[in-house]
Amino acid sequence: MTSPTLALSHVLRPLATLSPPSNSRTWQTAPHPSQPIVATACSDRTVRVYSLTSFTLLHSITGGHKRSVRSVGWKPGVRGQSVLATGSFDASAGIWRRREDDESEPKDFTNRNTGDSDEEEEDDDYQFACILDGHESEIKSLAWSPSGQYLATCSRDKSVWIWEELEDDNFETVAVLTEHDGDVKCVNWHPEEDLLVSSSYDDSVRLYREDSDDWVQVAAIDGHKMTVWWAAFEGSGMAKVDFRKQRDGLGEKQTQYIELLERSGPRLATCSDDCTVRLWRRRPRERHDGGTGMPSIIRSAAIDEDWLPEATLPQQHTRAVYSLSWSQKTGLIVSAGSDGKIIIYKERWKAPDAPSTSNGASNGASADDQNKDWMGEWALSEWVVVAELWEAHGVFEINHVTWAARRDKGVRWEGEEVVLSTGDDGEVRVWTLDELDVQEGEGSDADKMVDA
Amino acid sequence: MDPNKDNANPTILNPSDLPSRRRESTVKRRNDGASGLFDDLIPRYNYLNDPFEQSELSSDSEDGEFEHIDEQEVYDLISSISDPEHPLSLGSLAVVNLPDIRIQPPTSPFSSISTVVVEITPTITHCSLATVIGLGVRVRLEQALPPRFRVDVRIKKGTHSTDEAVNKQLGDKERVAAALENATLMGVLRKMLSTCE
Repeated sequence: MTSPTLALSHVLRPLATLSPPSNSRTWQTAPHPSQPIVATACSDRTVRVYSLTSFTLLHSITGGHKRSVRSVGWKPGVRGQSVLATGSFDASAGIWRRREDDESEPKDFTNRNTGDSDEEEEDDDYQFACILDGHESEIKSLAWSPSGQYLATCSRDKSVWIWEELEDDNFETVAVLTEHDGDVKCVNWHPEEDLLVSSSYDDSVRLYREDSDDWVQVAAIDGHKMTVWWAAFEGSGMAKVDFRKQRDGLGEKQTQYIELLERSGPRLATCSDDCTVRLWRRRPRERHDGGTGMPSIIRSAAIDEDWLPEATLPQQHTRAVYSLSWSQKTGLIVSAGSDGKIIIYKERWKAPDAPSTSNGASNGASADDQNKDWMGEWALSEWVVVAELWEAHGVFEINHVTWAARRDKGVRWEGEEVVLSTGDDGEVRVWTLDELDVQEGEGSDADKMVDA
Repeated sequence: MDPNKDNANPTILNPSDLPSRRRESTVKRRNDGASGLFDDLIPRYNYLNDPFEQSELSSDSEDGEFEHIDEQEVYDLISSISDPEHPLSLGSLAVVNLPDIRIQPPTSPFSSISTVVVEITPTITHCSLATVIGLGVRVRLEQALPPRFRVDVRIKKGTHSTDEAVNKQLGDKERVAAALENATLMGVLRKMLSTCE
């Protein structure tokens, strides 16, 4: 346990299993942006909505899809109701609505208003609102843009669709992007910009944005050697909360490095069948002086972005990594996959004597480029594994993992998060991340994790 | 010759030449020493603990009892699958062969997940049914083996013109799951697996 990339200072401990679990494979769990609930996409064609307060099932959304529900997503920024999008192997996406009561109203333990009449009972369920048809085969993933303006869906038909809700339940297709050569496994949005990422069976990752009313590819990322299962951006403004928060005592280079990261904006994390988790950073745009009157044809070229390989996280997985989540509260990354392990990674400054800071000289143009961008071995930060949990779902595979705000009574500090893992055993498990004592951390943490 | 078949004249092995538990002694032990018929005699982990305690510790979560599974048992599970276009078993067509089955033990003492790797040999290099056969093998093993086994089915290197593409497809969990929800494909698979006990 003395490896610099393995500093097990934390342990994942089981808090709850959402109950009752599904009888068949569960694919993905989406925490609601504000309510203490999650939606789980199930292979039995349903969506299960659980409480993160009581860890029990609140609603089962049935009758909408003819095949597995593969992906779910809550529309952000909606008031007075919850809007859920569901993507299915039946090639369609569904939109569901439920009126949300004022949180100050008294509720009984089933989270329903006391004294429901029949009419209200009906109103209490998730109502089917509309269906989004267009994909030719299974929908693999969907994601709302941070403003809620756009919904992106992707499919085995190799395409990514962007839908815009013009008014309630009236969705218009604003783009059909067909850049990939294989199934598109995942879509996600940049937290600050209308920038969409997709990852694919063709081993590549692509980014898109709108340019003169047309959505176009602005970057393609190659690097993974096999299917890229998931791609997700870092949260917004993370420099104020993660390892960059403590500015005292930093060297000049480290300060420059923080500024460089700030100019790049939120980074991108991807994970793959090749067992790796990788990070990518946008090369900051050069500043143009007086470049306002450029003709549109040049502007189109200027929209291209350069995403560079920043880091490969310590490789702890021995089989496909299906999912990762980047905490917007702490900057920690969690990953999980076919080997049944959950891994938590943390970023920190490299030791001052590390090669990156002492190695002033570099050979060759490409090394110079890398050096200039402070990528890869020139990065001033490094990622270490802080917690590792074996067989989090017994012998079953984990299909999805995500951070969520802790909402039960045992919450220990403001902003505490839990990890939610979704498995082939039909279970969604809730984990807390506990810091170990120094002595504990030095000792046989692995044994403790197995015991836990 | 049936022009509708990819391979109308396959080579067929005599059933008495196929490896089976009854004629164990005729089956050559694989010489890599890492796996073989005698696996169940060797403790899975002589690491950290008393070897005699190991089989108790690694008990199957499903039935509470650890069940040793070797290559021969895996072979027995899949050799009786019917070929989708011939009224013959995959064993007698030598599509599945005992030496091409490997069981890899857990990669760590903290894990009880083993991997079964099966390399299949399509009857001819452009056999369009290779994917269906591979899917049948994967589905059969996923249904018959305890969940602690990960099943990797591949086309044997150099025996198929598009083996990389087929392998990628057979290794993709999501594609396999979606295929099993396809009624037409399930009909074909059910017919193939109907000859399994």
